[in-house]
Amino acid sequence: MEAKQIVLRPSQERIIAYTSGKMGIAAVPGSGKTWTLSMLAAKLILSGALGMDQEVLVVTLVNSAVDNFSQRISERLKESGLLPGMSYRVRTLHGLAHDIVRERPDLAGLSNDFNIIDERGANSIKTNVAETFLHIHPEYFDRYLKDDLSDYQREKIHRVDLLKLTNVITNDFIRSAKDNQLSPQDLRSALDKTGGSLPLVEMGVQLYEDYQQALNYRGGVDFDDLIRLALQCLRYDPELVTNLQNRWPYILEDEAQDSSHLQQEILSLLSGENGNWVRVGDPNQAIYETFTTADPRLLRDFLNRADVISEDLPESGRSTRSIISLANYLIDWTRAEHFNESIRSALSLPHIKPTSKSDPQPNPDDCPEAIHFIEQKLSPGEEINFVVNNVQEWLTDHPNETVAILVPRNTRGFEVVDLLKQKGVEVIDGLLNSATSTRLSAGAIANILRYLSDPQSAAKLATAFKVWRRADRSDAEAKPVMEKAGKLIKKCSRVEDYLWPSEGTNWLSSLELEAENPLIYEYLVNFREVIQRWQKGICLPIDQLILTIAQDLFLDPTELAMAHKLAVTLRQMQNSHPDWQLPELGEELKVIAKNERRFLGFSEDETGFNPDKYKGQVVVATMHKAKGLEWDKVYLMAVNNYNFPSGNEYDDYYSEKWFIKNELNLEAEALAQLNTLVSPDIHDLYKEGDASLKARLEYIRERLRLLYVGITRARKALTITWNTGRRGDSVETIPLVALRTFWKGLGDK
Amino acid sequence: MSQTGLIPSLTTVIAYNNFMQLTKEQNALINSAPEGKPFLCGPSGTGKTTVGVQRMLALLSMGIPASSILILTPQRTLASPYQHALEAKQAYSGSPVTLLTLGGLARRMVGLYWPIINDLAGFKHPNTHPSFLTLESSQYFMAHLVTPLLEKGYFNSIVIERNRLYSQIIDNINKSAIVGFPHTEIGERLKSTWIGDLSQLNVYDNTQDCVNLFRSFCLANNLLDYSLQIELFRNLIWPSEICRYKLFSTYKHIIYDNLEEDPPFAHDILQEWLPNLDSALLIFDEGGGFRRFLGADPNTASNLREHCDKTHTFSQSFTSSKNLQTLNSTIKHLQNRDFDRARQKSLSLETLQETLVVPDDELRFYPQMLDWVVAEVKNLIDSGIPPGEIVILAPFMSDMLRFSLNNRLEKFGIPTRSHRPSRPLRDEPAAQCLLTLTTLAYPQWQMLPSKFTLAYAMMQAIDDLDLVRAQLLVDQAYQKDDSANLLKAFDDFPSLLRERITYRLGAKYKQLRLWLNQTNKEEALDIFLSRLFGEVLSQSGFRFHRDLDSGRVTANLIESVRKFRWAMGETSQDSNFTLGKEYLQMLADGVIAAQYLQSWKQSDQEAVFIAPAYTFLMNNQAVDYQFWLDVSSSGWYVRLEQPLTHPYVLSREWTQGQKWTAEQELAVSQEGLKRLITGLIARCRKRIYLGISGLNENGSDERGLMMRLIQNVFQQSLRVADGG
Repeated sequence: MEAKQIVLRPSQERIIAYTSGKMGIAAVPGSGKTWTLSMLAAKLILSGALGMDQEVLVVTLVNSAVDNFSQRISERLKESGLLPGMSYRVRTLHGLAHDIVRERPDLAGLSNDFNIIDERGANSIKTNVAETFLHIHPEYFDRYLKDDLSDYQREKIHRVDLLKLTNVITNDFIRSAKDNQLSPQDLRSALDKTGGSLPLVEMGVQLYEDYQQALNYRGGVDFDDLIRLALQCLRYDPELVTNLQNRWPYILEDEAQDSSHLQQEILSLLSGENGNWVRVGDPNQAIYETFTTADPRLLRDFLNRADVISEDLPESGRSTRSIISLANYLIDWTRAEHFNESIRSALSLPHIKPTSKSDPQPNPDDCPEAIHFIEQKLSPGEEINFVVNNVQEWLTDHPNETVAILVPRNTRGFEVVDLLKQKGVEVIDGLLNSATSTRLSAGAIANILRYLSDPQSAAKLATAFKVWRRADRSDAEAKPVMEKAGKLIKKCSRVEDYLWPSEGTNWLSSLELEAENPLIYEYLVNFREVIQRWQKGICLPIDQLILTIAQDLFLDPTELAMAHKLAVTLRQMQNSHPDWQLPELGEELKVIAKNERRFLGFSEDETGFNPDKYKGQVVVATMHKAKGLEWDKVYLMAVNNYNFPSGNEYDDYYSEKWFIKNELNLEAEALAQLNTLVSPDIHDLYKEGDASLKARLEYIRERLRLLYVGITRARKALTITWNTGRRGDSVETIPLVALRTFWKGLGDK
Repeated sequence: MSQTGLIPSLTTVIAYNNFMQLTKEQNALINSAPEGKPFLCGPSGTGKTTVGVQRMLALLSMGIPASSILILTPQRTLASPYQHALEAKQAYSGSPVTLLTLGGLARRMVGLYWPIINDLAGFKHPNTHPSFLTLESSQYFMAHLVTPLLEKGYFNSIVIERNRLYSQIIDNINKSAIVGFPHTEIGERLKSTWIGDLSQLNVYDNTQDCVNLFRSFCLANNLLDYSLQIELFRNLIWPSEICRYKLFSTYKHIIYDNLEEDPPFAHDILQEWLPNLDSALLIFDEGGGFRRFLGADPNTASNLREHCDKTHTFSQSFTSSKNLQTLNSTIKHLQNRDFDRARQKSLSLETLQETLVVPDDELRFYPQMLDWVVAEVKNLIDSGIPPGEIVILAPFMSDMLRFSLNNRLEKFGIPTRSHRPSRPLRDEPAAQCLLTLTTLAYPQWQMLPSKFTLAYAMMQAIDDLDLVRAQLLVDQAYQKDDSANLLKAFDDFPSLLRERITYRLGAKYKQLRLWLNQTNKEEALDIFLSRLFGEVLSQSGFRFHRDLDSGRVTANLIESVRKFRWAMGETSQDSNFTLGKEYLQMLADGVIAAQYLQSWKQSDQEAVFIAPAYTFLMNNQAVDYQFWLDVSSSGWYVRLEQPLTHPYVLSREWTQGQKWTAEQELAVSQEGLKRLITGLIARCRKRIYLGISGLNENGSDERGLMMRLIQNVFQQSLRVADGG
């Protein structure tokens, strides 16, 4: 079968022509790097370059990209008559680490069926150990607290803020230690050799020990362990490296700007000195929501290596020329004019180039009038009002277009969502909450379990009924019937007379519905049968109970697969907490439903978020979560000096807590102390405050890139606003002033 | 076939004898004079066990006394064809033929000859009778000894569940006994092979400490765990003249089937025994060795041929279709990386697709794969295939998977059977009910249940009590803080509530409450449970009365408690009272699982068999149709990873000091896969269905060796089709 002809840009052609060696590609937003990499993978497979047991290994950042890649490669192979699913493997770094560890679990000190404790599980353990630490050492942070705090403030700080702070430090400390392949034992012995001069490390080591012990007790590893252990296996067993090098003669890496040094080391080992490794990324899009050791400099250094062929993917058909010119100006201004010279490396070339007219993805027609900088000084509340009103108006004129409101942090997003909902605007907040499918399936089952835990409750039974008939919610005719039946159940004062009637106490017969409302009667009879079945199933192990419920609740294969996975998860949970019963397991499901817990395979990223599915509705998301997505119109909110500081004296920093003296960023200080502890250089002394200053610079750089990402999400229209902050003293951020001035200048011309 | 009421392996034998001619080679072996010692080998499905069974019958026909014939198999299920052939043969003279495993023989002999070895074995109380430990009671003692060490930091660098930790230490001691090296060398052996993080070396030292501690404890308390039973037999009883005389004069003829599934200890014994026998038939399955993780050693088994008169090799399969045999050889060539011969041997694409059926559409999710499997099973049955000719296999068969399959098949009225261990007792509703009621009877244990648990127990105990009323009852009755009056009398409930619960159910509650209140607090737990079952729960109006399965669970529970009490009796000064509490705690912690193999039910034979692949292989029966679930899983071949032990490093063939690397790991995986696939195909007559889904049960995309191999098989046929 002949493959479909595909049209390539010259820059893409150069990349597809790759046959061997190391190649680094700097791509711009919207340049189709995922597509290009998929085509390259398919080409390598079709060229016959692979042996019988070999695969092209594609490594990417999130699960949604895994699916995306697999689908594209598979389609391309099918067009060429090959069996889909063969000869390639797409993995996130965690997935790859999992594959590697499974090859030699013994070297990682694990059994074959080790548990992976997901983020929520890990966070809850971290919170527990932090709480215990503070309970035993209530005065531990006193040395860092400002002297002029009132008793009231001190009390509140001890009660609320220190736990949050300890949590953050615990998380960063443990992740950093793991990233540096340091075990609690390593750190303890290093610590024993020093005096008591590193208080944050002493705390960190204690917390790390407690945390790791708790993981061991659960027979599990966290996501960071998975990566650390994969590298450990590779380092200990050179034959494993050889086997894997042979299995994966080509490694293609997407989103390489987000590569941590562990990822880089693993892939470097797997590709070998003379191996084949293609890395694609955009250093300008290196943005991180939580602590990470990823660093865009790693990719930049790779691009500059002598043995690496360096290519660009500079063309993008995503945005109008006006939006492209703003993004490019932000690069130029940062590189040349940012008043703080050490910040100028935050963004790098290449510029984004519009595509040619004959390109399959031409840029939208330019519309400079669709760019708005709101110079006006607004309070946070006023800003939300402004944006919500504005987007409502815009929607009236553009009912078939897509729009997103992007905010720096989740909390702000929820405020926007609330107001939009109040105004009756259709909102999509999946990116704030994520995991819609997990949430719905887990939520449905959780409601049933909640009822089964409290079987006398008519209210919970009514909720269970509504869950059972939930398809009626979107059916205008069926909905009132469902609601009415639900209300009837809610009013049933003796649930047993409905569900398990004995002689003379049949609630359902007493309603005399059979003639009056046969449909509701039928619903109630059928529902009773279902509930009776579930109640009888209550003695089943939790996994089997969930499957039993799921069989009555779900038809859709995704939902059934999700239920299956939920069943497996809850079963594991029950194994590690044998005393947990339905109420506790139901609570756990509620947590999953609220999406605090992510699943490895069915996570929010898994199915991917497609903005084009939500035309005429408003998507609210953080700027971080918007990476990789695009909308016709984008609002960027709260672009002030608190969220986007520049290094001015009057700037405040999120990680420098108001109650900590000397503007110390204790997260950064703890990591600096850790580095000092393990540094082989005896002159590498810890000096309080240095790390906090360094962290400021990192933050400023990251925030500039975040602004760049925000701007480049827009296809046609962009509105940027800022607010005066909680205390009323925040100002428009300097890069925004620069952009606005540039834009005005263009207009004047 | 079902009318015979026999298990399929025997029905195969009988069918074979009735409808097929025995080959010349088979006849020659069966009917030879009772004096030869042949070694019979060949792949599965070539009629070796048929020869074994017929040889046994022939010996009996020749007038050899049954009591002088010993049938040895590595596990009891493998002796079933012999057992059933004996049952089918109406009568023979004298005492019966003995069917044993070598472990069973060792245990029997140790029990018998204890008085002559007791003072040689280093026991502290040689003159008292020993206690034989089950795996459970060994686990219990190990937990007892190791727990304080864990608190001191033992094993803190590895990730392992407690139960597995105990069982792996026990596994090590057992390996040393069945492989034949001193238990004091376990740690060093494991250390010498290790290439990973040095902290693991401490773990092996910890392991050795625990092994030593356990052995000392057993010697100090007259406890005979499996390893001691084997060692005492091997080192003291077997060399003794009295014992030899007894054994050699009793058994003159041995038929030893599936010897590749036994450990070196068994082969050593047999090697020394052979010269003293009148006749022997040793049967070796060339593709076998499935119990490697339990110490099976096909190499030492194969070496026994040197000590036999002659080796006979069977190669003609009486089981698989020609196409399946061709497929098997394609796979063998692919595994040997001989791609040219693989291609030459390939089936045409069309024939391959008929022999190895894959879903037409790509199935993304695991449950979709289960639906596909069930739909195909239904098609087969609708087309007249007997359910007994279908087997559904998976690398692991979790309770949930079995439940999912059963549910789906039940919807179509398709009967299923699974030869599986029972659920751990703590998961059995009937056991939960019994134990919950026990904690009520013994409030001093301070293990009182929650309201939920009690409501479930009540629902399980009292017939017709629904969940809503059970909750009402417990809300009203249960006074957790009043240990003198934990359960309020029904008559003291407000009348409205009595009405809601109903007087009929209330009467049963009264009966149960009264019984619990009158309990003898000093009674042993097993006796308490027997009475609770016998005097209350099995009576009319209680759920156990009509639920036979609950009776089985109760019997298992009582047996487990009783064995525990007996084993503890030797070491503990504790009263029945604390022993009962201890038992409950161990059960809750999962140290005691009390799992039992459910016995075969005759009526089950005409049902679809659902099993883990290795169970199916060890049952040694062929079927027409096999379904392989989750082909992408690495579980088909990856050895069970046990951080504290290692079946290969602790085997006899392992060279001391050799390092265990990925090369070995891969070789072992490939060897395991080869053995498995060959074994499965050899036990299939017509067709194999492959269950494949994009994502596995956990939602991840797994690409194991088996999947890659199957893809290669298809690719070969595709290339043949393309003329490539």
